[in-house]
Formats: sequence, structure tokens, C-alpha cells
Amino acid sequence: MDDLYLDNIDEFVNDQNKIVTYKWLSLTLGVHVNTAKQMLYHYLQQKRNESSRTLLHATYLVSGKCVENGSTCHKVSVVREDKLDAVKAKMDMTISVHVYSVQRAELKDSSPLYNTDYDAVKENLKNCNKYSAISCAAAVPMSSTELQRAQEMASVPPVEKEISKTGLNENTSATSKPSAKQPAGIMGMFASKNASKSQESSMEVKTEQKDDSSLVETSKSKTASKANPMSNFFGKSAQKKADEKPNKNIKEEKAASSTAIAIIKKSQTSLKSEIDIKDEQSKVSSALKIESKDTQNKTKRPEVVDSDDEKMESQQKKRRRIKKPQPDSSDDEVVPDSPPVPNVQTPSPKKEVNREPVSNQEENSEVKRRKRRRVLKSNTFVDEDGSFVTEKGYVSESYSESEDKPEPNSQAKDSSSLKHSFGKREKEKKEKSQKKTSTTNKPTKQPSIMGFFQKK
Amino acid sequence: MATLTRQDLNFGQVVADILCEFLEVAIHLILYVRDVYPSGIFQKRKKYNVPVQMSCHPDLNQYIQDTLHCVKPLIEKNEAEKVVVVIMDKEHHPVERFVFEISQPPLLSINSETLLSHVEQLLRAMILKISVCDAVLDNNPPGCTFTVLVHTREAATKNMEKVQVIKDFPWIVADEQEVHMEEAKLIPLKTMTSDILKMQLYVEEKTQKT
Repeated sequence: MDDLYLDNIDEFVNDQNKIVTYKWLSLTLGVHVNTAKQMLYHYLQQKRNESSRTLLHATYLVSGKCVENGSTCHKVSVVREDKLDAVKAKMDMTISVHVYSVQRAELKDSSPLYNTDYDAVKENLKNCNKYSAISCAAAVPMSSTELQRAQEMASVPPVEKEISKTGLNENTSATSKPSAKQPAGIMGMFASKNASKSQESSMEVKTEQKDDSSLVETSKSKTASKANPMSNFFGKSAQKKADEKPNKNIKEEKAASSTAIAIIKKSQTSLKSEIDIKDEQSKVSSALKIESKDTQNKTKRPEVVDSDDEKMESQQKKRRRIKKPQPDSSDDEVVPDSPPVPNVQTPSPKKEVNREPVSNQEENSEVKRRKRRRVLKSNTFVDEDGSFVTEKGYVSESYSESEDKPEPNSQAKDSSSLKHSFGKREKEKKEKSQKKTSTTNKPTKQPSIMGFFQKK
Repeated sequence: MATLTRQDLNFGQVVADILCEFLEVAIHLILYVRDVYPSGIFQKRKKYNVPVQMSCHPDLNQYIQDTLHCVKPLIEKNEAEKVVVVIMDKEHHPVERFVFEISQPPLLSINSETLLSHVEQLLRAMILKISVCDAVLDNNPPGCTFTVLVHTREAATKNMEKVQVIKDFPWIVADEQEVHMEEAKLIPLKTMTSDILKMQLYVEEKTQKT
């Protein structure tokens, strides 16, 4: 094979000062992603061997199994080169390591990595996984007739349990229906996995499922997780792939992922997306929603929802978690009765409905619900010395689902330089500073900003 | 479709809004990338569908907002030629100047429905270029501060001095030492051309930053 690609990469990296990610390279040169990864690797080797003056930085994608808080999880991270060995050492088993990007600049955070891929993927939206290693033959967009049929069926309240997360989806159950109509191949594959009951086996099942049914959404999960690196658990991931409806539904269940050390709960998302394909979306959506509340409260929780293959277990889990927000819900404003708009209705046969009607009402994520949730809020105040202190803390606030926007959901320490929060800009209500006039007069000394940090 | 002239102030305001939003994001990003302030005060936010770093220090944010609020009327009337973010060391000698050269075509014509998304794409590319500019620039000495200068055409600032756009936020004529830098290297970063706006971003860097 000719080495022209090395010159190409050299031009991109050195002359144009671009960040070359493997995905961008594969879309630009029209090669399979694995080829692109190898190209980057060879380029890096060559440049390092030459010991040329130009300094190159690289980032790597590491994925493997690790144990966090007692439960095993599959962790996928994009790490800088200097942290690569440390991250690999932390993992029990490293499954894959490959070059993620090559660039001249030493990136302070991972936002430019996402920015690089954004336009390239956007241009090739319809076939952005043409060169991808992850594919699912069954994941095809629905034809217009199928879509119409699904929409007609959606208007009739279904008999099966189907709670769609309308507050979280952009389209409501119109999308949930099509995904329920996925070809039987996936259902059959998933149904066969349902047999396992124990936690351990479910772990293996998930990894198997991950491998077998490595649907498009997994690749999308990478892009979506990059697409929403800071987005909330159920943030509207409508940035890129609004076209493909089934995929959209799957995407919406992406776990919140962080940046340089991204924890993409792959098995969790793939599991959940598969459950979504099944008719038991309701449980998952409710379980996920409760989880989202919980993840907002706690820091990165390891995968706890396992063994959701078993209906009963998932229902039990849901029941357990439903109890938690109940004390809060009593403080809420009047909760309107769930309107059955786009076919969202909890059917009565469900046992849980009878047991906990209130919480189930909550779970029917209808269009307008008032709920309490814990929100990361910045609180700025003047302390004894007169310095401004901004503290971030979790505050319980009530909100209505119709105005659900991507919420920051990470730890409340603002000493860490890498933030996981990713929300729209909020207008902060604070008093006007009295210092601002002095800052514009050039001869006088600018007030030090370190006062901001000394009081913590 | 419509060909609007500068008299159609609504459109001029739209362009000014877009530009001021972009400049705010760009200034925050420059402060982050060039380590003018510690990274702890920055927080990830979303703009143009990509993550950007914005500060959450109230004074700093207010200062930047007030600055741009005063610049906006100049942009509306197309009197602002350059907006410069100057990074100065402890002795107030400039070490880097990020120059945004702005020009607007006299006849703004909207002839495409995808105009705004195209502009968004271009601004995204500018943001990306700022993020990687540390590859072509030397490190700054510690303890740097920044300021924003505006170069205007003709004598537009005469009015500004008479009428304070924001109370207690006066603009004064800049010192020579901040406007001109000795031994400057010019490093172009990005150019963007669109129907409503042309912008060029380059960095003037002092050869020896101590």
C-alpha cells in the first residue's frame, strides 16, 4: 500500500494545524475506521522515530472492564497519552486501545475533539457509519408506509404496557412504536438472552449482547456521547441524527458521559435500547428516569441496573426506587391527571399500578408534570471579607417536564477543571459588582481574581 | 431574496447580535486556552452545538458583557473595524493580541435559507481554531491580564465618550503601548467569509515573552 496517506496526515496535522481524529480521517479519506486507526498509529510511530522537532500529541481510546464500588462495569475512555498507562493499569482487563486523535496542540479539554468530528459527521449524516466497524443489519429506517402505519397504531391506546417518556423524547410514542416494530430478528436474539437470571450471567449476557447486537446505536452512542459529552442522562440528543427515528429513541437513553475520562455505560445503554425495542419500554423508561434522578444526586454511579432481563426484577427495582421520590412528590404542586395524549397510558393489568398509584402517575411521563429534582445551582454570595464566593450545590427544585432541558448532573465541586455539566447558559441573579469601574481605568491595578479562590 | 441596506437596522442588529455572542464566547475561550485565569473558574457550556468553556466568575462575566454591550452599537453601524483582545504581562506590556477584523458588506443580502446554519458552521470553525492555537503560540508568562480594545473607523468614538452607553463603564482612548507591540510576529488563525459578515482572526505575538 502506498504511503501517501502519511503525507496526507502530515499535511493535516502540521500544515493546517488540525486535530485528526480517526473518525474524521476515515470520513475524509473514505476508508474504514480500522484502517484510519492504523494509519494514525503508523504516522505516530514514524514521527516519533524521526524525532523531529514538531511535537505531536495523541489521545487514545481505552476500553476495558473495571470494578467500581463493587460492581463490574465496562468502561470506555478517551485519555491523553500521558495518562494512558495509568488508566490501563486501573482496569482489570483492557479490551481495546487505539489511537483516537493526533494533533499538535496540547488540548486542555476534550471539546475540540467533538468539534472536529461534528461537521464531518453532519455532512455524512445519512451514512456516517459507512466506514464504521459497528453495524446492525436490522437497523434500517422505516419506509413511509410503515411509518404511517405506526402512527395510526399509536393513536389507539395500546393494550400492552407502554409508557413512553414523552417528557424526554422530542417525538412522543410515535417513535416508541416504530422501535417496537423492529424486525423479529432482534427480538428473537434478545428473547433468547432473557433466560439468564443471576447478576453475573447478566453481565456476560450484556457483553454478549453488546457484541452481537452491536447496533448502530453503539457507534451512535460514541458519537452521541461525544455529541452530548456533557449532556444529561436524557438530554435531547437531537443535535445530529434527527432523521433516523428508531435510532433517535435509542440515543435518548444514553448515559451521561464525561469528557477526558468518559464513562460510557455501554452495556447499560445497549441493554436499555434493546429493552426499548421490546414492548416493555415502560419499565425501562421509568427505571431510567428514576436512575436519572439518582445519578443527579450521586456522583457517577456504577451500573446498578442489571438483570433487567427479568421482568420481575426490573419491576422490583422500579418499585424500590419509586418509593424514594414519594416524600418529595407530596410537596409538589398539583399534579394534573395524565392525559392520554399520544397514546400514553398505563394499563391496569400491571400490578405496580395498584400498589403504588401515585408513583405510577409520576412515572407516566406525561407532557406536563411537576416533579422535584435536584439541580446543580450556583449560589453567589459575599462572605465576611467582602469577597464573592460562588458555590455550586444541589438544590431540590420543582420543575415541569414540558420544560425539561439538558441539566447539569455532575459533582458539585468547582475545583475540578473538567466539568461534566453541560447546560444552557443560565442568567445568574447576583448583585452588580462595585469593582467593575476600576477595571476599565488602565493605570490602576486590576483587582486580583485570586480572592475568588481563597475563600472556599 | 431580500436585499437589505444598512438602513434596515433590524438586520444590522441581527448581525451585531450574532457577532457579539460570538465575541463573548471567543473571549472566554481565549482566556481559558491562554491560561489567563485558572481553569477552575471555567465551566463547559454549549454554543453552536459544541462544548465551549465559559467562566462562571460573576465579575469577569459582567465585565465582558458590559464591554460587548458597548461595542454592539458600533458594530450595528459598521463602525467597528477591529476588536482586539490584548493579553498583557505584569508590567502591562502586551504579549499577545488576538485581533478580530470585522467587515460587513454594504448591501446585506439574504439569499439563502441556510444562511444562519452556514454562519454557525463558520463560527464553529473559528472556535475550533482558537482551541488549538496553543500549538502555534508560545506560553505566556504567569500573572497575565487582559483587556479589550476596539478600533473604529473615522471618529465614531467621539460620540461614545459623550454618551455613556452603560453607566460607570467608561471607555477611554487606549495607550500607545497597548496598541502597538514591539517585535511582533503575525500568526493568522482563521478567516471566514459569509453573506452577512467577514471576519479574520490573527494573533500578533511578541517574539520574546520573557
